[in-house]
Amino acid sequence: MKVRYLAAALLAAMLAVAVSTASGGTSSAQADKLVVWLQDDAKNGWPEAVAAATKALQAKHPGVGVDIEYQQWPTHLTKFDAAIAGNNAPDVVEMGNTETTKYMAAGAFASLRAKSFPNSKKWLVALKGSCSFNGKLYCVPYYAGARAVIYRKDYYRQAGIKGTPKTLAQFVAGGKKLMKKFGKDRNFSAVYFPGKNWYASMQFVYDYGGQIAVRKNGKWKGTLNSPQAIRGFTVLKGIVRSLSRAPLTVDESHPYPSIPMAKGSVAAFIGNGWEWPYTLDPKVGNPDLADVMGAYPMPSHVKGRYMPTFLGGSDLAVPVTSSKKSLAIDWIAAFTASAQQRTISKAGNIPNATNLASFTKGLPKVEPFAQAAKFSWFVPTAANWVNVENANVLQDMCSQIFSGRKTVKAATTSASNAITRILNAG
Amino acid sequence: MPEGATAVAVAESDFSLASRRRPRWSRHRIAGATAPYALLAPAAVVIGAVLGYPLYLIARLSFEKYGLFELIRHKGTWIGLDNYTEIIHDSQFWRVLLRTVAFTVVNVSLTMVLGTAIALLLVRLGLFMRYLLTGALVFVWATPVVVAVDVWRWMVDPQFGIANWALTKLHIGDFVRHDWFVNPWSGFAVITALVVWGAIPFVAITVFAGLSQVPEELIEAAQIDGARSRNVFREVTLPLLKPIFVILTSLSIIWDFQVFNQIWIMLDQRPSTDYFTMSVYSFVESFRISEYGLGSAIAVVMVLIMLAVTFVYVRQMVKAGEVH
Repeated sequence: MKVRYLAAALLAAMLAVAVSTASGGTSSAQADKLVVWLQDDAKNGWPEAVAAATKALQAKHPGVGVDIEYQQWPTHLTKFDAAIAGNNAPDVVEMGNTETTKYMAAGAFASLRAKSFPNSKKWLVALKGSCSFNGKLYCVPYYAGARAVIYRKDYYRQAGIKGTPKTLAQFVAGGKKLMKKFGKDRNFSAVYFPGKNWYASMQFVYDYGGQIAVRKNGKWKGTLNSPQAIRGFTVLKGIVRSLSRAPLTVDESHPYPSIPMAKGSVAAFIGNGWEWPYTLDPKVGNPDLADVMGAYPMPSHVKGRYMPTFLGGSDLAVPVTSSKKSLAIDWIAAFTASAQQRTISKAGNIPNATNLASFTKGLPKVEPFAQAAKFSWFVPTAANWVNVENANVLQDMCSQIFSGRKTVKAATTSASNAITRILNAG
Repeated sequence: MPEGATAVAVAESDFSLASRRRPRWSRHRIAGATAPYALLAPAAVVIGAVLGYPLYLIARLSFEKYGLFELIRHKGTWIGLDNYTEIIHDSQFWRVLLRTVAFTVVNVSLTMVLGTAIALLLVRLGLFMRYLLTGALVFVWATPVVVAVDVWRWMVDPQFGIANWALTKLHIGDFVRHDWFVNPWSGFAVITALVVWGAIPFVAITVFAGLSQVPEELIEAAQIDGARSRNVFREVTLPLLKPIFVILTSLSIIWDFQVFNQIWIMLDQRPSTDYFTMSVYSFVESFRISEYGLGSAIAVVMVLIMLAVTFVYVRQMVKAGEVH
């Protein structure tokens, strides 16, 4: 029977597939070049600053090649781990300020001397903290970011909203007006709030006096099911259900809210400074909106305050495996010099040092974000914190709450238990 | 007598001729005895290098504490069976295992039934339609998984997807901004559709090839005896194609049990725990939480389950060989 030959051929095919799927890897670093991993924010927002830093390095060390490899937030740590395992790590790596602690604790970064870097005496305390471990410095503050409400002035005007909201109640009232005016378009959101946007969700928790976790007697305890946190979530759930029509199973970068905003179906969203220019990008956005965009700090439920914003930011580190540490340090110094910080600020970020704060003055696209940063919160400073992020504990919880798949109490309780377990894991 | 059987018979007579000679340690004989191994060696070395060695490493990792700290120093600590005890006591592991088994059963059944149905259809179609359908099947088969997942993701996009638009236009319901992934059941329905869609061509084309080998005269004989087409399929076609079905089913089990890309890409590389299957779970433990030892232990359990399945299938094959 030919059937048997067919069967044998299938077997061979199976083996071939098994072999072909057992591959994978990362890009290889060139031996003679300084390899720098930056997040693609730099590629989109401030490529001139990157080029200027490389030029400055090459002026000091003629003939040195610099290879900038742009990474993406969701995958960069996985790639970095694989690169370390393969003895192929870059010489400079950018990490978010919530990600550094785990790597410092594991001894992944070379220790640095602050005085090798410009403005180091005036570094933002929050960023410097994310670079310090056991009294030593392991990375260099790169820039900080805060979230504010990015909105369409023309929509606000047409809905009859005067000025910008000064309290949460005004914010919600304005949102209702917007929904009344534009809500017939079933894709329209007065506040576009993706279901997994946990950074913006935590603002409400902290505004109502809640916290993610507290440390007691050397043990961490998740506290998202405290009455204060539950109140924050309940208020936010009402806002998401009535004012947002964003998908509930995606995070704030799939797609970036700036994309539906550019399409005209979003009146406002809570976002980072660099998302404003993103909305106007000729390729993925709509340049015609340049005159109708604005931003204001998210108001608190308490009058006269802003809602605490997550003080995000990025740091630059030299992996302990690098064979070109002094070159790497020189590149970082050039990249964090005042001139480059000015370029980075113009793109919508907060500069890395307090003496550079004037860079954001008078820039309508940055100032609201710098103002918002006056009230801020930060993630628990536990070595394992990033595992909470990577295990999507908070994203899943937010999505469950907003979609109604779980009650606020049930969702926050199971998330708190997960956080307690992960933060205390050996 | 079918051609294949003649070939086997010839081969057997060759063999019996050879064995009739008196055994003697001639150079010729040693060369003859080692030749097959020499011919197998290159393939064995390649398989050993790309499959065997990683497998050994994973097995070793599964007995070690291997986190980020150990990764940087390239040195784990031996902790015996601790990783395995941790998995066994983790309720999440059992949920994931059960979900993976259920997912596999549903996907394999749908793939086999629909694939066979299309193969039977192919036999009955005219030449033009047969080529058209075969061409479509080959296109689906040739579509890279990553591309296929992106296409499907756009189709079921809550805001801009064509699925919601079409379902609403057809008055099947109000699907405006319907998010298919809020509810894991409907989310898995989409993923199942995608996986089955991608797997059907292989089954359909293979079964079709098998069907064309079923001797006409057997079917004719059955029909003359008064068998209806359903009975012909059950009594004649199925038993003849049994080896193919066994292999296709086993392969489908192996593939569907380790589905990863479809879930991973569909859910933005951040699937919620409701969507964890074994391979996703193992990947998350390893590469997201940096618990490489634990992740490896999960992978080893997966390999063992797959081995059990393959064992059943090899036994089936051997048995089928004995009958013929």
